[in-house]
This record gives sequence, structure tokens and C-alpha cells, in this order.
Amino acid sequence: MLTYIARRLLFLPVVLIGVTLLIFVAMSFLSPYQLVSTYIKSPEELKNQSLDDLVRKYGLDQPVHVRYVNWMKNLLRGDLGYSVSANMSVSEAIAKRFPATVELALFAIVPVVLGGIWLGTISAKHYNRPLDHFSRTFAIIGWSLPDFVFGLILLMVFYGVLGWFPPGRLSMWADSIVLTGDFVSYTGLNTVDSLLNGRPDIFWDSVRHLIAPVMTLSYLWWAYLLRITRSSMLEVMNKDYVRTARAKGLTEKVVMNRHVRRNAMIPVATVSGSMVLGLLGGVVIVETVFDYKGIGLLTATGAQQLDYTLILGTTLFYGMLLVLINLVVDILYAVIDPRVRLE
Amino acid sequence: MIMKKLFRNPLSMAGLLLLLGFILVALFAPWIAPTPEMYANDPYRVPRYGWGTTPEPPSSEHPMGLTQGKYDIFYGIVWGTRTAFQVGIIVTGLSCFIGIVIGSTSAYIGGKFDEIVMRFVDIFMSFPFLIAAIVITAILGRGLDKVIIALVLFRWTGYARLIRGNVLQAKQDEYIMAARAGGVSHPKILMRHILPNTIFPVLIQASMNMGSIVVTAATLSFLGLGAPEGHADWGQMISFARNWILGTPDNPLAYWYTVIWPGLAIVLFVLSWNLIGDAFRDIMDPRIQG
Repeated sequence: MLTYIARRLLFLPVVLIGVTLLIFVAMSFLSPYQLVSTYIKSPEELKNQSLDDLVRKYGLDQPVHVRYVNWMKNLLRGDLGYSVSANMSVSEAIAKRFPATVELALFAIVPVVLGGIWLGTISAKHYNRPLDHFSRTFAIIGWSLPDFVFGLILLMVFYGVLGWFPPGRLSMWADSIVLTGDFVSYTGLNTVDSLLNGRPDIFWDSVRHLIAPVMTLSYLWWAYLLRITRSSMLEVMNKDYVRTARAKGLTEKVVMNRHVRRNAMIPVATVSGSMVLGLLGGVVIVETVFDYKGIGLLTATGAQQLDYTLILGTTLFYGMLLVLINLVVDILYAVIDPRVRLE
Repeated sequence: MIMKKLFRNPLSMAGLLLLLGFILVALFAPWIAPTPEMYANDPYRVPRYGWGTTPEPPSSEHPMGLTQGKYDIFYGIVWGTRTAFQVGIIVTGLSCFIGIVIGSTSAYIGGKFDEIVMRFVDIFMSFPFLIAAIVITAILGRGLDKVIIALVLFRWTGYARLIRGNVLQAKQDEYIMAARAGGVSHPKILMRHILPNTIFPVLIQASMNMGSIVVTAATLSFLGLGAPEGHADWGQMISFARNWILGTPDNPLAYWYTVIWPGLAIVLFVLSWNLIGDAFRDIMDPRIQG
């Protein structure tokens, strides 16, 4: 197990260099003048200097390999440049917006995983019977419903008609309290902070704003997980050891939970990596639809306003994040399935 | 055999019928929604009827109403079907071609070369598809052609991996050994003997991805990175609807038609592909036959 983790850790820098190279290649499609903004740290620098001076100052007229090394040096210092659309440095913007996305993801992941596995189990147990058809239809529709369409419809119904779940992250009154000095921001997650500050009203307000985005994210991934759980349960149910378990008189519940579902979880774990990838992408749309100020909305606004500094910075951040998440997923995978460790 | 099963399953039958409907709409677009005289030089531009931005409800002249900017929704949906097929077919075709060429050569040559190519593929695949597409379109600039480039760039890797696995297996087969012993050249073995036996699953997989490609393209348009304003495109029509979610004070659903019609078009389009794909997967998957 330890050697497995060590091997994965050794591979980490290789992937990171690959990710930065890919972003760097994408950057090289931009002209030096467009790129200058990724090096400027504050608007003051633009005073008394022409763009040509800045291009020279940051070595953008240098050959490619020199530029790459320079760029990497900046990155390692945590300096991602200045974002015009967010009106602050990119690293500051990411640090400010990231907790909101983490909050959304945390609230989404539990219902997604538990719900998806549960639905898949039901579907497999009732293979080719009405309940199976019903949940499969539900899944196919979910799989076909683009998140921005579903999100807009939810917004129309739950905000426009019923007024229950407004867009944004907090209501105006709650936002003004959170921004004052009395409210201590421990984690940046409004739900946690409000409880720590003893403000259940703000907690409820932030939950109210989370429900619709979480519903949007969940539906799509329920459909995905349902499909995978169902087919892998069906496969396992035909195995000899399941027949043995039944033959020795175990109850259906024990057979299902102990023998079938455990083994059926392996493919589910395999896709959890790609699910995380998809969730990060989905967050961009969901945050845009619900005007939820997280890192996804930051990226989308940056892309609309052609703020290259911001786009490259957030992409790099996504890249790093994914490498780390994938590492965790791989390790968990090895924990679930001993065969992986021996490979 | 597969076709027979597809026709027998009610779900996939529904998918096939839906798809046929969309193909007919795309083919007969000029008859279903004739282009007004003024717009004759570019039929993909959605005609506008009047000034101002407020949408107008469905009427006898405009059966689905006018969306933000007084664009005709019915016209946009009918011609948007063509846009959807264009994007889907071009992206699928190109990425499939690139994936098959790179994946099969990599597997056939094998060794170090294969190792390097696959690590390269890994890096491409480690990015969230949508975010990668956003970055590329933002860098290349707005437009459908840019969307297509972005999607192809991050789509070919999946097909490359798939064909690689198949080629690696086929490489060991006896008939390939026989061909090699008979002195057939390497390119010919790959083209004539290996590919015809391995390409089929990849092509099926690729065609089943049409739905998700069209959704991603629509998503980029929704985010304002896709087609230029006024081009017949479902994603853009939905992005118009964003500002009209709230309706009027006395009727919260006053502008329902701005989101429902284009939304329905895209959902049914994707649904048709997914219904066929789902049935295909069950038919092709021998593990769940028992």
C-alpha cells in the first residue's frame, strides 16, 4: 500500500509539469501585448510605462524556453497576475471565491453519491420490472437534461413562482451582516461560519440559496451513478459466489448489502474520478445560472470578458486541484480493491 | 441482428423516431421556416420582428413567440437543428478521425512511442472537458468554428484510448501474424487487416456521443462563447431567456416560452441519442444478458 502511494506521489510532479506546459502552449497563441496583463501585479504599473516597455520588462520578447522558466518562477511564488474583470489579483480572487465552490460541492456530493447508489440498487433489484423502467426513464431524462436548462426551469419555478429559493449566495440583509466586522469568517463557508457565530438565521438563509444549485447538480449525476451502479450490480448478481451465498440460506438483505453491493462498488469508485471532473465543470454552469459567486462564475465571467489572466490562473488552479483529487481517488480505490495495489 | 433488437425495444424505437424527426426538420428547414426576403443572403440569421428587447408571447404569425431582442423563436429552433447537426457531425467526425489515427498507430508501433503518446493523452484527459473548452474558445475568440476546434481538441483522446485497446488485442491475433509472415507492409496491415476489425465499437461510441457534444456546444453558447448573436443556435436562445426568468409582477410565468421551447428542442435532441445509446449498450453488453 505504501509503495503504491509513493509511486503515485512520484508521478505527481510529472503531471503538474504536463498541466503547466499545456496551459503555456495555450498561452502562446496570445500576442505579447495580450499576455502582458498576466504579469502585471496592480493597475499602478500601467502608469508612465508603454506596453512595449512592459513587454520588454517581463521578457515577453524572449525565446519560448526562457519565458516558460520565468512564468514557472512566478507561479511558484503564487503570483498569477492581475485580473481586470475581478479588479484584484488572480490569487486573491481565487482565495476569495474558492470557499463558496467548496461549500456548494460539499452539499452536492453527499446527496449525489448516496442517492445515486441507492437508486441504482433499487433498479438492479427490480431488474426489468416497473420500478426499474421507472428509475431508468428518470435517469435517461436526467442524463439528457442539460444543466443550464434544468437550472433555469428550477429558478423559474422555485424563485419566480414560489419565491422559495432565490439566486445568489446570501440575501441582501444576511450579506450585510456577514461583511461587518462582528461576523468572524473562520472558514469562508457561510453555513459553517454562521453556526460558529451563533446565527441560525444566516445558516438557514445560506441553505436556502444552496438548495436549487444542489438539486441541479444532483439530478444529472444521480442519473450517471444510477446507470453505473445498476449495470455493475446486475453483473455481480450473476456471479457464482452470490449463488453460493443464497444457497447457504442468507437473507436477501445480507446477500444484497454484503455480497453484491460491496463488489459492485468497484466500478462506481472508478468513475468517481471522472465524476469530480464533471462536477467541477458543472459548477461553472450552475454558478452562472444561479449567480452563485464561486470560482465557476469567476471563470465564466473571465471568459466572457476575455480576461486571459483570470482564465489561465483559474485553469491552472483547476489543474492542480484535479491532480490532487485524482490522487486521493486513486488511493481510495486501492483501499477498496486490493487487486489494484498488487498491479 | 442489432438493428432488429433496436427496433423491438420501445425506448430505442422512440429515440430513433425522435432522431428521424430532427433529421427531417434539419433537411426541410427552408420549407418549415422560410427565410424572409431581407435575410435571404444568410438564412442562419434569425429574423427580428420589431425593436426593443422585451419578448412577445406566441401568436399566429410567430407560433413560439419572440425572445429577447424580438428574435423569432420558431425560426431559431428550426434552423438551430441544422446548427446542432453541423456541430455534432463535424466534431464527432474530426475527433474520431484524429483519435483513430493516433490511437491505432500508437498501439501498432507500441513500446516507448506508445507510452509517450498515452501520457500525452492522460494530460489532455485530466482537464475537465467543459473548462478546457471554455479556455480554448476564450483564447481563440468567439464563434462556432472556434467552439468546434475546442471540442475536437479535447475529444479525440477518448477515441484514441478506445481504439488503442482494441488494436492492442487484435495485434496478437493469428491472422495478423499470418499477414506479417506473408510480407504485407505495416501500413497495409494496419489499414486493411486491423482497422476493419477494430473500428466498429469506436464508431458506435462516437455516434452515441453526438448528444453530449451538442450539449457542450450549446453550453458554450449559453455562456456567451459560442455562435455570434443572432445565429440560429439553441444554446444562445436559452441564454436570451436568462433575463426573463422572473416574468411580470402579476404573472410570474409570463415569459415561459423563452426558455421552454429552446429547452425542449435541446432536451429532445439529446434524449433521442441517449435512448438509442442506452439500448445499444444493453444489447452490446453480454455481461447483463444472463
